[in-house]
Amino acid sequence: MTDPYSDNLFTKFCTSVFNTIDKPVTWFRERVVVPNRKEYPWYHRSYNRVPTIDQCYTDDPVCFFEANEQWIRDRQVDREIVNILRQRWRDCAFYEGVDAPVKCVELQKISEDAETNFFIKYGDLSAYANVKDCYMKQKHRMLWERRHGPVGTGMKTEQ
Amino acid sequence: MTVLSVLRAVAGPARLAITHNSQQVAKMSDHRAMNIIPSRFQWNKFKDMLHLYFVGAAIPLLAGIGITNMMVGPATLSEIPEGYVPREDEYYKSPITRFLVRNFTRNEQMEYEKKMQYIWETEHKRQLRLIEKRVKKLMAERGDYKAWYYTPHIARKYQRIVRKETEELMERRPAA
Repeated sequence: MTDPYSDNLFTKFCTSVFNTIDKPVTWFRERVVVPNRKEYPWYHRSYNRVPTIDQCYTDDPVCFFEANEQWIRDRQVDREIVNILRQRWRDCAFYEGVDAPVKCVELQKISEDAETNFFIKYGDLSAYANVKDCYMKQKHRMLWERRHGPVGTGMKTEQ
Repeated sequence: MTVLSVLRAVAGPARLAITHNSQQVAKMSDHRAMNIIPSRFQWNKFKDMLHLYFVGAAIPLLAGIGITNMMVGPATLSEIPEGYVPREDEYYKSPITRFLVRNFTRNEQMEYEKKMQYIWETEHKRQLRLIEKRVKKLMAERGDYKAWYYTPHIARKYQRIVRKETEELMERRPAA
């Protein structure tokens, strides 16, 4: 079965117009450039895990510095993860169009869960936040949960 | 005929006059002529600068980049082999970046460790200074060590009076 896009005079004309630029460039790249290039590797930097903030003594600024740098890197990784999951949902919605609310429900749920968890961990900290602020946020959340129950069930009054 | 000769007397000065038409020729005593035209300074200066920035800067840089990409080419991303510690410039893709990192840039890991060393040193000094401050404060309070606040007293009576009055003052008004 022939390709429905190729046995068409107009398409052939458009392709040949495109090829006036594409063919010389492709020929140059395949015949001249690629054989002359050398094969050599580059790597992504791999960072060793260091003790986190909950394992540091309070009067140890070096441990705090390393934990902070690691936290910054982990936050960037988490941002990229949330972005990727969101992009998957968006691609599905773009492809499905009108059927998106029905067909992309799993991807939507995964993306929204990731966003929620990201906000629980990193949300509402300022732009100058460090790892100690994040740790204290967790501590305050646990205290609040101890006093009032799980988050989302409302505050209890004095009774 | 007289009309024409009068006109000739008038036309004499007019021949030497300079008007603002283009290609006007000023007739002077010599046979050479000076063409009076508008200034081409800005156009010539523009061509000069264009030539400089292209031939001096843009074309060599673009040619260098093009030749580097054709002859050497970018690196391919790969896994770090077991037990191998890559050089600093093996973390970058472009050969030009690698060259700069190899020859002109600081080592990122070294700077990180230097920063940690500085933090440790400063904290060490801070702790020592805190101890010094505490010791000075205690010596001032107790007056039992000769180091900072010792003055050999002769007038003990005077010292006792002053101490008693200071203690009464401190009782009446708590120390801020």
